[in-house]
Amino acid sequence: MEINYHKLEQSNGLIKTCILIYLKIMKELFRNIIGLLLWCCLVLPMMAFSQEQTISGKVTDQEDQQAIADVTVTVKGKAIRVSTNSSGNYQIKATNTDVLVFSFVGYTNKEVRVAEAKGNTLNVMLSSNITNLEDVVVVGYGTQKRSDVTGAVASVDKSRLEQLPNTNFAQALQGSVPGVSVDQNSGGAEGNNNSIVIRGKNSITASNSPLIILDGIPYNGGISDINPSDIESIDILKDASSAAIYGSRGSNGVILITSKKGSRGKPVIAYDGSYGTQSYANLPDMLSPEEFYQYKRTREPNTPVTTSEQAVYDSKNFPDWVDLATRTGSRNQHTLGVSGGGESSKYYVSATYLDVKGIAVNDDFKRMSTRVNLEMNVTKWLTYGTNTQLSYNDRSGIAASFSGDYGAYRFNPLTTAYDAEGNLTVYPWPDDVYFANPLEGTLADNADETYKIISTNYLNVELPFIKGLSYRLNTGVEYTNRDQNTYYGRNTRTGLKDNGTLNQDASIQRNLLVENILNYNNTFGKHTISFTGLYSYQYDNIKGNSLEATGFPNDVLTYYQANVALSKAPEASYAKQTLISQMGRINYSYENKYLLTLTGRRDGFSGFGANKKYGFFPSVAVGWNVLQEPFMKDTGALTNLKLRLSYGSNGNQAVGVYQTLARLSERSYVNGSATAPGYVPTSLANPDLGWETTNSLNVGADFELWKGRLAGTVDAYSSKTHDLLLKRQISPVMGVDTITQNIGKTANKGIELGLNSVNIESKNFSWSSTANISLNRNKIVELYGNGKNDTLNTWFLGKPIDVNYDWVYEGVWQETDDLNASPQPNTKPGYAKVADLNHDGKIDARDKTIIGSRQPSFTWGFGNTFKYKNFSLYIFAQGVVGTNRNNTFLADNVNSGVRYNTTRKNWWTPDNPTNEYYANDVDANIYGVHLFESDSYLRIKDISLSYDLPPSIRDRLKLNRFKIYVNMRNWFTVTKWSGLDPELNTQDAIPLQKEFILGLNIGL
Amino acid sequence: MKVFTKMIQLSLATLLLAGCSKNMLDESSPNVIVADNLYKDKAGFDAGINGLYDEARRSRSGSTYGGSTNLMLEPAFVGVDNACGNYEDTYEKVFNNWGANNNASVIHYRYIWSWLYETINAANTIINRADQPNSLTDDEKNEVLAEARFFRAWAYRHLTYLWGDVPLTLEESSGSNIRTDWDRTPVAEVRDAMEADWLFAEQYLPETSPSNPGKVLKGAAQHYLAELYLAEDKDDQARDYALKVTTNPNYKLVTARYGVQATKPGTPFTDLFLEGNTNRTEGNTEALWVIQNELNVAGGEGDNIMRRYWVNRYYSLAATGTDGKSVNPIAVSAENGGRGIGRLSPTKFALSLYDDHDDRGSDFAWRFYYLINNPAGIPAGAKLGDTIRLDRTSNEKVTNPNWPSTRKWDYVSPQDVTVDRQYDDQAMIRSAETYLLLAEAYFKLGDLDNAKDAINALRERAHADPIATNQVTLDFILDERSRELFSEEERRYTLLRTDKWLERVKLHNKLAGSVVSDRDKLLPIPQNVIDANIDKAMPQNSGY
Repeated sequence: MEINYHKLEQSNGLIKTCILIYLKIMKELFRNIIGLLLWCCLVLPMMAFSQEQTISGKVTDQEDQQAIADVTVTVKGKAIRVSTNSSGNYQIKATNTDVLVFSFVGYTNKEVRVAEAKGNTLNVMLSSNITNLEDVVVVGYGTQKRSDVTGAVASVDKSRLEQLPNTNFAQALQGSVPGVSVDQNSGGAEGNNNSIVIRGKNSITASNSPLIILDGIPYNGGISDINPSDIESIDILKDASSAAIYGSRGSNGVILITSKKGSRGKPVIAYDGSYGTQSYANLPDMLSPEEFYQYKRTREPNTPVTTSEQAVYDSKNFPDWVDLATRTGSRNQHTLGVSGGGESSKYYVSATYLDVKGIAVNDDFKRMSTRVNLEMNVTKWLTYGTNTQLSYNDRSGIAASFSGDYGAYRFNPLTTAYDAEGNLTVYPWPDDVYFANPLEGTLADNADETYKIISTNYLNVELPFIKGLSYRLNTGVEYTNRDQNTYYGRNTRTGLKDNGTLNQDASIQRNLLVENILNYNNTFGKHTISFTGLYSYQYDNIKGNSLEATGFPNDVLTYYQANVALSKAPEASYAKQTLISQMGRINYSYENKYLLTLTGRRDGFSGFGANKKYGFFPSVAVGWNVLQEPFMKDTGALTNLKLRLSYGSNGNQAVGVYQTLARLSERSYVNGSATAPGYVPTSLANPDLGWETTNSLNVGADFELWKGRLAGTVDAYSSKTHDLLLKRQISPVMGVDTITQNIGKTANKGIELGLNSVNIESKNFSWSSTANISLNRNKIVELYGNGKNDTLNTWFLGKPIDVNYDWVYEGVWQETDDLNASPQPNTKPGYAKVADLNHDGKIDARDKTIIGSRQPSFTWGFGNTFKYKNFSLYIFAQGVVGTNRNNTFLADNVNSGVRYNTTRKNWWTPDNPTNEYYANDVDANIYGVHLFESDSYLRIKDISLSYDLPPSIRDRLKLNRFKIYVNMRNWFTVTKWSGLDPELNTQDAIPLQKEFILGLNIGL
Repeated sequence: MKVFTKMIQLSLATLLLAGCSKNMLDESSPNVIVADNLYKDKAGFDAGINGLYDEARRSRSGSTYGGSTNLMLEPAFVGVDNACGNYEDTYEKVFNNWGANNNASVIHYRYIWSWLYETINAANTIINRADQPNSLTDDEKNEVLAEARFFRAWAYRHLTYLWGDVPLTLEESSGSNIRTDWDRTPVAEVRDAMEADWLFAEQYLPETSPSNPGKVLKGAAQHYLAELYLAEDKDDQARDYALKVTTNPNYKLVTARYGVQATKPGTPFTDLFLEGNTNRTEGNTEALWVIQNELNVAGGEGDNIMRRYWVNRYYSLAATGTDGKSVNPIAVSAENGGRGIGRLSPTKFALSLYDDHDDRGSDFAWRFYYLINNPAGIPAGAKLGDTIRLDRTSNEKVTNPNWPSTRKWDYVSPQDVTVDRQYDDQAMIRSAETYLLLAEAYFKLGDLDNAKDAINALRERAHADPIATNQVTLDFILDERSRELFSEEERRYTLLRTDKWLERVKLHNKLAGSVVSDRDKLLPIPQNVIDANIDKAMPQNSGY
């Protein structure tokens, strides 16, 4: 325990340190920016007079700051042309209003106004312009040239990150990378309920979520806590070799997010702003109040409609609950960023304000965040850097209810929303006080605020004596403080029932990571070798305090009156997990032709059983740049080809803490009126619980045709997972229903193809595309080692993990059917027909079968960019093919007494002997057979039209960049799914929003 | 530079920590209770025992933990001769309609099963660990074992009555031995284990417990032993154990008015069910085991829903005024017993059993009428305070607010008259029931005279006419049980024990009578129990 205490101290110290550094940097920056702005406003105009002068300066490389020789310098629109000498210096004659153009092979052309010269000196930095396959990829614990990468690493298309109304990065990821599937679980303002799966599910019950690395540090926070406007790139490690450096956490793939960095040169001030409206994409087809009335009377003719329902029906004054619970939403985002750098530092500073008012009433999300990314060359051998984000999220306000017993869709329409005074009714259905008003949440006092610091800081030391050897100290801190307070007063059912209900929940989450990294990088003739070694320590700690209290004298003090509550139930929670790791990676290349990567990582995790704390995860990968071979020089159209092969093992540690202990649940009693603390065992100990391991083989090729007109990547993989972290249901005779064990095997195999093409490129018009398609086949290979299926958990050998297993709906019993021969006793015409699959004359568990699965045949994404002069049109479509599931809206789930509304259906009646849907009769579906539907879909996710101001006008306005755009998201969908939305997992929920967004980007 | 110094210090500290990394990965949470750190001393074992009391209390709560819907032990209470489902939901439909509704996938069967075996595992854990080295004295150990074994047998009692042969496990479950090959142990063998447990409990449980009103007493173990011996046809032993209760002056019947409403109109019998009267400390001498609830006290929330389920939906009762308009004249109120949702109700047969002057069939025991108390629902031609008598002429039917309900579970929270749960203490078993077990034992032994006396003890207390020896039949005893114990006893068990279930349901339950079959005497083993038994087929009860 002493050790833990020390660690705690350290983390506090580190957080303090980070805040201090941050404040210092902010101070410096503001001083600089203000100076700069003054200079721009006052000095620049004074210099704007036309007089020929001799301008001289030096051209250097943006990255390594080395001088570049032979750079062509011309005066725009004139015939004057010079070149830089061997030390990168040039001299040229120009007037103050001229523009100089710097160009050199392999670098992006740069235009600079002479007016920007300091005195007569104009130093310029050029940045390299390397084609697709040559650029740099973030690979974890460093970067690599794409041509050197041996694993399957994909990058998110930049157009998905820029100029799209993303509230979080998962939205940019959806459909954009082969092998990555993003499901949206529910709608809502924050839009953060996503699940991301890379290359299919390995794990049956443990998490299948990939590891997220933000600026080099494992990230634990929510996806909406990272400001998407700050993201420079997203790279995804998909195969075992590339993910193996993250060892025990790599088996579900790794998402590497890199935030924007400054670049050396004069400061660039950028403003990105957008405003949009949101409306629902689709609603379920519920019965109208009149239809509901008839439905109710037909279904239970002997149950009288209650007095208040009848009164509403007679008055024809019906509430439209869905209309009351929804609104036209809006979305407002503004980012102001400054980036730049001098000789010894680079910086990127930004501030963003996001304000979303969702389409559900009172569903609001606000985020304010600032980021400072800074790198300083303290000395020649020492570099210090920080990537720090401070953010504030405000989720205050409880949205109108769409799900559960008071959900707006299914709420009884023969009720009253507002009383005579115009207040929301406490009991919308006075005869059935079980029901609260679907809008009662909007009356609650609710504050939900989160403050978060994410700071990664590093020191890089070039070690003396050995060339290419450096040491890096990486520290990461994530500190989150969330405070939730809710009070339901007597104007709500929840509050009235208990004379006021108060809920408070405060939690602090602290994650700390310290990494010691040794890097070695050198070239000996034709051999290039690099080595990365790591020793790291990480701990995550969550502490929470919550309080539930009821019974207050009045509602005046809302959630500030816990002290006078009649009943109080405070609760404290705590969880801590620790991870200790060592990792080594060797990259070797011969003539840039033959590439080899070897990695190994050893992880120790506190969450595992006493006997299984450590695991080791090795991998090997080779690559071959085929076109570097002399005998492949003359290949015509093929301009680049690399073949890759990798094999390795990754782990999954995705179990919660304390899973291996035999925990007891609190079940207290009372002795008279005094509390008698009590406990009951509710979990079983498992000291042997350890890693889930995935071994996978990947074969891939990167290719380029016609000098980049068509480029792509194709990968095929096969992975096998064993020692699954399986949370299985066990015989309740054990006294406990579930346990997590390392049993079972699964397998995934698949093919992925990603393509980038420039289809048309002419002077004024261009058309380029990105496309991806992925196929994944997943199956359970083994469960308990006895070759038997587990029907209870619906796991079947040789079948995908998430199959639908159920009775088969066979239509409706008709009057012409021989009901005496029916396997369903006492059935009647109009009743649901359940298939007696084994023909044994009765319907029981043995008649259930697999009805498709949640595993798609394939998924795809297709983006097209059309450019005409300064107009650009981007259309992105995305789809999932081959899944199906139970459509819960197709069940007449209305409770006895018909207390809920249902969707419109083609019910069987004697006059309408349809087979489509059984009769509107309480007993028509005794077996509760479900109706399955295909939820495959094609969706035009984004349509974005933008206009760039032409450079001639921009120059006159002294703007670097000026772009306006409109974006339409989720506007068109093709699907057979009749529920709320094929993309949403929960149908009884806030609908998916479609958005219309107007945006503006300005750069100074 | 201060920053850098700190960073370097930190990294050095990390490197040093590498040395002690082994124990850094050990798990110990300050907020998690595990078996190894709980069952160490008397206080720890007491906490385990308290957990068992809470488990037992759940028999009268919702079927999911903390829930307020689907009464856990509903199958024991309805689908019998004297009770049925009124406001049917899926669960009640099973016991009114049987047939296809009664199948292995009924989710609540699963909940009941899991709850009982959770209780058994909790008891096994205590029993096993009390035998290992610990800080308990011999007296403390016997005290702990007596209660743990009492509850283990109690859980098996429910399992055997509901499902017949069930797996018998007497060991603490362990994560390193997940069994997938359970057998169904014959009922007789399970009963042997129950007998051993209750005999041990009978030896060490206290006769009374003035300091803790909720404690199970020696009399409770004797009562269950008597019942067990009746089921095993060991009628001598049944008689002897029943006599241990009925002859114990500590457990004497309440025969006079007492307690919170002693001066108001009422009867000695109905005094037993008033809040504030249930515990022995409050004057209820016939209580053998009283479950404890308490409003606004941690541990006092038992999620008890007896009132919610047994009190009818009187607020849905419609009355037509002279103008032909229909209104709801009765509003939820404390006087009306609080808010019920009438899922369960008596059959017409149950209501027909009482003599005119039997206290147990009086207005104090049943709601036969209401007074108009809803100002917004006064039928034309009537006024506030007018009486609305319920219609008892029809047979029991579903969705009927115009039907009497028992007042045994009336309870109103001082905070909210519409609250779901109730927070009163309730007798789980009373010695009155032991008298009827005694009568059953005498009857089976052919000693009708003594059987008559046992029955008359209750009838006299209730001011009903005493019966003569020649009136004693098994059916009369079962009728008497209904009169005395309506909605208290697990009626299904009683009828199964006497092999009268099918006959009497067919005869007296107008909803279920025509559809029940021999198959329904035992419930189907939950499908998940069968499915989880991967390595050995677990036979389903016949007919399912």
